[in-house]
Order: sequence, then C-alpha cells, then structure tokens
Amino acid sequence: MLDVGRHPNIELLAYSEVENVEGEAGDFKVTVRRKTRYVEEDKCTGCGACAEKCPTVVPDAFNEGLGDRRAIYSYFAQGIPSTHTIDPDHCRQLNGKKCGICAKTCQAEAINFDKEDRIVELNVGAIIVAAGYDVFDPGRIPEYRYNEIPNVVTAIEFERLLSASGPTGGHMDRPSDRAVVAEIEALEKKVRKSQKALDKLEEKFNEPSAAFYKKFQAGQYQDDEDRQKWADKYAAHLAVIEPLEELKKKAAGFTVAKRLAFIQCVGSRDFRFYPFCSGYCCMHSIKEAMIAHEHEPETTSSIFGMDIRAVGKGFEEYKIRGGNNSNITYVRGRVAEITEGPNNNPIVTYEDTRERKVKSQEFDMVVLATACAPIKGIAALAKTVGVELDKYNFIKTSSLSPVDTTTPGIFVCGCAESPMDVPESVAQASSAAERAAEIAFQPELEKEKAVA
Amino acid sequence: MTKDVLVIGGGIAGMQASLDLGDMGIKVHLVEKLPSIGGKMAQLDKTFPTNDCAI
Ligand SMILES: Cc1cc2nc3c(=O)[nH]c(=O)nc-3n(C[C@H](O)[C@H](O)[C@H](O)COP(=O)(O)OP(=O)(O)OC[C@H]3O[C@@H](n4cnc5c(N)ncnc54)[C@H](O)[C@@H]3O)c2cc1C
Ligand code: SF4
Repeated sequence: MLDVGRHPNIELLAYSEVENVEGEAGDFKVTVRRKTRYVEEDKCTGCGACAEKCPTVVPDAFNEGLGDRRAIYSYFAQGIPSTHTIDPDHCRQLNGKKCGICAKTCQAEAINFDKEDRIVELNVGAIIVAAGYDVFDPGRIPEYRYNEIPNVVTAIEFERLLSASGPTGGHMDRPSDRAVVAEIEALEKKVRKSQKALDKLEEKFNEPSAAFYKKFQAGQYQDDEDRQKWADKYAAHLAVIEPLEELKKKAAGFTVAKRLAFIQCVGSRDFRFYPFCSGYCCMHSIKEAMIAHEHEPETTSSIFGMDIRAVGKGFEEYKIRGGNNSNITYVRGRVAEITEGPNNNPIVTYEDTRERKVKSQEFDMVVLATACAPIKGIAALAKTVGVELDKYNFIKTSSLSPVDTTTPGIFVCGCAESPMDVPESVAQASSAAERAAEIAFQPELEKEKAVA
Repeated sequence: MTKDVLVIGGGIAGMQASLDLGDMGIKVHLVEKLPSIGGKMAQLDKTFPTNDCAI
C-alpha cells in the first residue's frame, strides 16, 4: 500500500469515480470525478486532531459497524492517502447546523467547507477494472437469523474482532456483551450527570438526598415546589441506578467467546443465491479459527461444511495443521437453522451427514462464511466503462483469455472477474498489467518498426 | 511515447497491477472509490496460508 502511494509513476485518485469512458484501445478519454473531502489534500497532515474534537459519532464502515468513527475521519489508521475526509451525510456544518469545530481545531487550516468536486480528464491507452467484490448479505437467509441474533456474525466482522487494531483490540468479546457494556457506559454517564445536580441540591438544603426523600415520601414538604423538583430528580436517579446495578452484575460474568462455530457456504453453492463455490471461505474459516485459538488457547471451533475445499499451494497442510494444533473439528453437514438459546448463545441445528442424524449444538458465537458477491455498483460501472457482465454479474471473460473483457483494451483482475483469493488476485493482476502494457507500449513499438 | 493506463479499484488486485505497470515505466492513474486504498485485504487481520499480517 505504501509502495503504491510513493511510486513516482502512480497517480493516486482516491475518493474518486470514473464517470465516462470514450474511445477505443490505445486511445480512451476518461472522465473522473474527484469527490470533495472538504479537506485540502495538500494541507492535511493526517494528524487526526479534528476527529478527536468532532462531536458527531457515526458507525465505522471499515470496522463493519462494530466500532464508531466521527463525521470527519480517516478511513483507517494506516490508510493511504492519510488525508481526512468529511462525511457529507453526517457532518453538522454541511447539514445546516452550527458546528465547524474541526475547522477551528485544524492547525494546518486544511478544512474547507466550500470545496467542490473536481472533474479530471485522462487520456489512456488501456483500462484495468479491479473493482473487487461485496460480502454476501446473510440477512437474505432467514433461517440463519443474522439480523436477529447478535452473536451471529459474518467472517469479515470476525476479522475486525480478531484485529489488534480493531474495535475490541483483538479480544473475542461477543456483540451481545459489548451491547451491555455500551449500555452500562451510557447509564453511568446519565448517573454522573444526575448526581451532579443532586449534589447541588444537597448543598443548598444541607441534607443528603436519601434522608430527604424518606421524609418527602412520608408526606412532608408537599407544598414546597423546589423540594418537589428535588424529589422528582432523586426518583429519576434511582430509576437509572437500579437497572445499572443489574447490568453490572450481568457483565461481571462475561468472558470472551471460546466455543465457536463456522458455517460454510453461506450464499455459495446454494441454488437460491449463487451456485458457485466462492473458493476462499473454507480457508478463511480455518484461518480465523486458528487465530482465535492463538489469542485464547481454550478456544474450540467446529467448522460445518459439505466438504472443506483446500485447493491451493500448502492449503491442505494448513487445514490438517488447524485440526491438529488449534482445536478445530470439521463437521460434515449442512446447517439448517440457527436459533438463540440462554445467555445469548446461538444454537446450531444441522444434519450430521456422517452419522445421518439431526443434531443441535450450543456455541458462544457463530461466524458465517459468506459468499463472494459482485459489487452493488457493477452494472453501472460496466455500462460506464463499456464491458459485458456474465450471468452472475462478474465481468465477462473467457477461459483462454481470463483477463480480457469483451472490449479490446479493457482488462480485469481480482474478484471483479470471479471469486478468488489473494495469491490468485495478485497473479491475475500481473497478467492484466502485462496485457495493458502491450497496448501502452504500442506507439513505441510502432516507432521502432518505422525506424527499422 | 508510451500511453498511460487507468486502473479502477485500489484493492490488492488494482494495487498489484498498478505497481507492475509503474515498474515497467508506464504512468498509471489509480482510481479508488473509498477515501483510502487497500480494499478488503486491509480489513483482514492476517492472511492464509501463511498467516502473515495483511497490511
Ligand atoms: C472474511 C474474509 C477473509 C479472507 N481472508 C483471506 C486470506 O486470509 N487470504 C486470501 O488469500 N484471501 C482472503 N480473502 C479473499 C480476499 O479478500 C480477496 O481475494 C481479495 O481481497 C480480492 O481483492 P480485489 O482487489 O479483487 O478486491 P477488493 O479487495 O474488493 O478491492 C476492490 C477495490 O475497488 C474499489 N472499488 C469498487 N468499486 C469501485 C468503483 N466503481 N470505482 C473505483 N473503485 C472501486 C473498492 O473500494 C476496493 O478498494 C478473504 C475474504 C473474506 C471475505
Ligand atoms: S470455499 Fe468452502 S465455504 Fe466457500 S463456497 Fe467453496 S466450499 Fe463453500
């Protein structure tokens, strides 16, 4: 990533989109919209002082909504470029409210609320489409209850939980437990505020609230308006403290998730959605189970799948190593349903196809190995660029020219072409680069030919 | 004169293609929709089959 940012021959146009493509192989005219970040790119040092002060809290997409960011943000800490961006959907100032705190904080004077989108025209010989994939939305499979059971998560969410720089600092804290902890924090804030107000009243009347409240309830001070207000405040305070204590008791019993289930082929090899195998998900489930075990040696994982597809250099050995060293059990069977049991524990009901029995098992957390789906904007992008899509909406290629699209001079690589893992994406990228280079060097070659 | 190349998408595939072209002396314009490049791989904790860190 750093190498791309620093490379003298690479012009990075981040936070931008291609709006129009005209021409043909060797001579394409491309229009790119550089969306405004409302931040001057040449001034922003990426220090992050603005984000510390910004009062607007927004779910963080990089962390799959498991953490928060501010309305002014860097996409992730090591992101290239490190330039901050103001999210126009959430920023107070840009939505007609009074704010501008970031602009007051920024010592580099980089914030510019009037900055507009810019249009850039490019002339290129070839185009490579590498727009990637989307994670399949498991909410489309109602029997897995992804939207209802908090401790059923997707594999990409689980990656963020495993990450030391993620929202849990790499601890396997369960989403249901994190929600309770967040509620405790919110209630504690409320209690601190009401305690402050009560402190003032106690000082004014020179009496502890509890003692006063007893007398008030016994019928004293009925006509005293100020004391009436004090009593109301104290009652409201108590109404928060009781549930807070309950939640705290509950939270004292929380531990990290140690019994994990991984459900394979969620949306893949499923005729309701995608009949194809996404290729990488068996491997990433094994990886995630291994890393969870590294973080917490008591972790046990069950991987539920029709079969484990470990096709690649060193993959089968990796699978066996996981089974031997990381407490992973491979269960052959398809999961029929996930329900919620006591303590927010997901219960997995499946057919064990080896024993030919329907079984149920309780876990702390369930991870869904979601399919590799075409990106949402793929139809629009294909139309803009001028290439055809295949029946699944990946970019159409043929088996003997796997990086050539239906249009000469336009190539494709990575998951925009079909589901594939990182080593395959990299190999395809080098092939696409090579095909594009043939066109980019064409004028030079022709010149040489003419000279000869 | 060598022609420039446009790469759409700054995930691992787009980054690799850009680096290869750049190293060949070809000027690349890398267009990424999001505020930073890296794609899905930047979100991964580690990658199989070596369990190396993703970024
Ligand atoms: C949970 C999980 C774990 C995984 N773990 C591994 C692993 O350990 N090892 C491994 O080899 N593989 C793993 N994979 C697979 C890996 O994520 C993919 O192989 C790889 O990310 C594909 O790279 P890509 O560049 O094709 O796509 P992406 O990473 O999706 O990159 C595409 C980029 O294009 C951008 N883009 C999209 N549309 C546009 C547009 N219209 N204009 C401009 N830019 C656009 C996107 O914002 C993105 O930055 C995992 C996948 C998942 C889901
Ligand atoms: S890689 Fe494994 S989990 Fe993914 S679709 Fe193929 S068989 Fe299913």
